[in-house]
Amino acid sequence: MKAGSSYKKREQIAGGFKFAILLLFGLLLITPFVWMVSVGFDRTANVTMPFPPKLIPKSPSSFNFGIVFENGSLLKAYLNSGIVTVSSVFIGVSASLLAGYAFSKGRFKGKKVLFVVVLCTLMIPMEPRLIPLYKLFNSVHLLNTFWPLVLPSLISGMLIFLCKQFFDQLPDTLREASQIDGAGEFTTFFRIYLPLAGPIVATMIILAFIWSWNDFMWPLVVLNSKELQTVPLYLASFSLENGTSLGGLTMALATMSVLPIVILYLFLQKYIIQSIALSGVKGE
Amino acid sequence: MANNSIELNVKMEVEKVQSKRKDWGLKWYVFLIPSFLGILLFMVYPVFESLRLSFYQSNGTVENYIGLANFKSVLTSNSFWNSVWNTFYIGIFQIMITIPLGFIFASLINSTKRGQNFFKVLYFLPNVTSIVAAAMIFAFVLHPEMGIVNYVLHAIGLPTPGWLSDPSTSKWAVIILAVWHWIGFVIIICLANLQAIPSEMYEAARIDGASGLQQWFFITIPNMAGTFAFLLITGWIGALQRFNEVYVLGGPNGSPARSIQTMGAFIYERGFTGFEFGIASAATYIMFILILVFTFINLKFSKMKI
Repeated sequence: MKAGSSYKKREQIAGGFKFAILLLFGLLLITPFVWMVSVGFDRTANVTMPFPPKLIPKSPSSFNFGIVFENGSLLKAYLNSGIVTVSSVFIGVSASLLAGYAFSKGRFKGKKVLFVVVLCTLMIPMEPRLIPLYKLFNSVHLLNTFWPLVLPSLISGMLIFLCKQFFDQLPDTLREASQIDGAGEFTTFFRIYLPLAGPIVATMIILAFIWSWNDFMWPLVVLNSKELQTVPLYLASFSLENGTSLGGLTMALATMSVLPIVILYLFLQKYIIQSIALSGVKGE
Repeated sequence: MANNSIELNVKMEVEKVQSKRKDWGLKWYVFLIPSFLGILLFMVYPVFESLRLSFYQSNGTVENYIGLANFKSVLTSNSFWNSVWNTFYIGIFQIMITIPLGFIFASLINSTKRGQNFFKVLYFLPNVTSIVAAAMIFAFVLHPEMGIVNYVLHAIGLPTPGWLSDPSTSKWAVIILAVWHWIGFVIIICLANLQAIPSEMYEAARIDGASGLQQWFFITIPNMAGTFAFLLITGWIGALQRFNEVYVLGGPNGSPARSIQTMGAFIYERGFTGFEFGIASAATYIMFILILVFTFINLKFSKMKI
């Protein structure tokens, strides 16, 4: 009895200790964000950064945020990123659903070979394709449009792979039943399987969204016009132009670029974390 | 005779089914058209075109066949090897720090009873923000005079490095940013796999009197070997492609003094600020081969099923 209670007590202390370490390190991780918001609210930070660092600025003001919005470039960048991301997600997820379904339920010649081709695309990074794709879109006069950002999203080996894995878990008998009723392959897909694919579609949308929203190198290559800059491009050009000279403004801008994503993440955290884990675990 | 007719009937049935299957077969290709159009246009064509370009001297309009001269010029260029060194240096330390640290924190989160989900959300937060925004913030966080890191270091009596203003410490600034950004991903992947270890193994060990730490060493860690291999390889592939954060922090030439120019930045600099497409393509192929080798190792390690 006594041994049991002391064991329990030790467990409790260890548990409290673990909790404290986790909390401490977690706070350390988000310190840059906290500091970012604090400096963003400090008008004087554009001339001299507040030093020593403070949690609450001496004279808090929304001056920097006012400038960020007045300038309008960030809102424009959001709109651009939105157009590119929604279109990319739509065509990427649609094409991958079709292909994933065919690789799971289809019976056709060359299925294995074609699927190996899809898996091979997983190994091809962007860099060796950068210059030929640039030349390709240049030759059809589509540089400085959103087309080069959207069209290549048509193919994603990872999405096809995840989608196939999901359909593999659904029974074939559904298909047979539907076909005895005289439904064709497309009707079967749209009426029977697609409505069951909700969870994987959500995962695919989340992954495709993250990839497209954060894409940087390729947009940097094909977009020169300031008007068309996506959010990461605008941030990078602002940062390279101003260096570390306009602290308050830079941090206000960073805050406004991070905030919507963080809010979205807090609402969808369960699904986002699951999707990331799935893409990692399945890849294994 | 009767037998024959039955055989004939069976044959006809089989043929009917087979012809029906052939019919299906064609339909299935329609499902694949969009994806394979994408593969041909945006994967197969550029990969071969890039290989072709690497044998030409090219600025986008004029092309001259020059054999292996581009490869020779890249492989004898100091700035290319400097970029390889930077890429490897940052990548190796990022991975060596993040995987063990992330695994320890994943284990702690997994074993804590209160607030598991809260910690998961908290630790993953840096990974959700784009690396470009993160780099922008870290330029200030690591600022030699006004940054919070040096403020804390000074307060506890440690030397305050120049970070990004000093070529001898700038790589470590990138490493700190990379660890901060990647650790959430490592934790999430570790947690998912920690939770997949059958609890019977721990129960059996407990009955045999194994302590918590012993269980961690002899059950958890061996069971996580596959996960570590996965993180090691995917992390390494990502590290070889590093570009975004070094571009924001140091521009295409990786200042100060090219100390943070990665292979990706080298390719961008030669290809899109110098428009030396041939040289950039050759560099790109050297990098591609490196990545392919590591991806193959990854697939071998992790036994991905086709």
